[in-house]
Amino acid sequence: MADIIVLILLLATGYFFGRMAEKRHYKSILQREKKYQKLTVVASKFPPAFKNTHDTELVMGSVVVSVDYFKRFVASLRNLIGGRVRTYETLVDRARREAILRMKEEAARLGARMIFNIKLETASISKNQRNNNVGSVEVLAYGTAIIPPRAD
Amino acid sequence: MEYHNPIIPEGINTSKEHPLKEFFILVVGVIGLLATVLFVLSLVAEHLAQYIPFSAEQQIAGIYENTIPADSNVDPYEEKIQSYLQKLADQLSGAEDLEEGMSVKVHYINDDTVNAFATLGGHIVMFRGLLEKVPDENTLSMVMAHEIAHVKHRHPIKALGRAVIVGVALSVLSTNLGDSMTSRILGDAGLLTTLKFSRDQETQSDNTAMMAMASHYGHISGADTLFEILQKEQDENNIKTPEFLSTHPLSSQRIQNVNNRATQSGWSLDQEITPLPEEFNEWLAGSRQAQKVK
Repeated sequence: MADIIVLILLLATGYFFGRMAEKRHYKSILQREKKYQKLTVVASKFPPAFKNTHDTELVMGSVVVSVDYFKRFVASLRNLIGGRVRTYETLVDRARREAILRMKEEAARLGARMIFNIKLETASISKNQRNNNVGSVEVLAYGTAIIPPRAD
Repeated sequence: MEYHNPIIPEGINTSKEHPLKEFFILVVGVIGLLATVLFVLSLVAEHLAQYIPFSAEQQIAGIYENTIPADSNVDPYEEKIQSYLQKLADQLSGAEDLEEGMSVKVHYINDDTVNAFATLGGHIVMFRGLLEKVPDENTLSMVMAHEIAHVKHRHPIKALGRAVIVGVALSVLSTNLGDSMTSRILGDAGLLTTLKFSRDQETQSDNTAMMAMASHYGHISGADTLFEILQKEQDENNIKTPEFLSTHPLSSQRIQNVNNRATQSGWSLDQEITPLPEEFNEWLAGSRQAQKVK
């Protein structure tokens, strides 16, 4: 009985804080995505042809997001029967977009006009799968920023 | 070439569905499925368990030997009680028509607990607490015949079969789940199924016990006394277990059952009862004293 109460408490905590964090995060993502809308990001390997020479620089942004207890519980039940793990989809979606945003923020600081050859890497940070594991995901976004020459 | 990043609409990579909806569907579905599977498995196990030969059951009981409290037959009173109980058990097992190779061994435990139980290998355990409450031999016979009936109907091995199958299924499942909290809860659920007899099994044993009483004494007087004692015991301790939680049928229902059966089979409930041996209370008192000294 005590175990069930602990479980319900953990689930409630996970759900409440997880949902709050997610809502806040999405709000900030949407806002910043709008702000950096003009800074184009492309996956093309080759830089577009510009009339004058540009500087290039490596820019990157990385983020680590952790799953909450509620999401993990739902996912573990999902493991039994299969299907879309919806609770993890939002997590990874947030991580990806946040990483790109951080990369863009860096590029914007450098005064870049666009980023090409963008790549995304994900790594799961999960130590000790058996006993209460750390269920976090790291997403790294990197690309080459094209910076117009300074007029000096 | 011009490059643009359009604003991508939300909800392509993620779902707008409320997470709690998925949670409830999964919890209800998985628990329902689990309950069904475990129920079917335990039925199968119970059905198959009766084909285990009694000799094999005795061997299994050997493994659990140390869970059955050892007879400390040093005390002369205990020896007397023990041999009296064993004699009664032998008479009643004759009346119950035990299968060939089946035997019953009674163990007397010097403890205040008001209880008696049957376990694997035909071992029956009687506590002093219960013996002290019993007014006559017929009532004691009802207890004894009831426990022997559990042995006769192979209830202990069925319960073990169920517990083992359910335990294995749960442990397989919980390792697959991988979540420590879930597996802990599943592990606890497995414990609930330890050697407990179902209410149907209890009723079956009551009925067999009455048949044995009728064939041994020619009547079943005293059968209802037992349940009246149990009822009183419950009232005194203020234990009010709702029926669905209890593994035993309610005492009032068992008295009802005794009366119904008696009318149906034409068994008398008010014949002269056989008293306990004259020195029986003396033995118990001596045994109780011996425990106090210890």
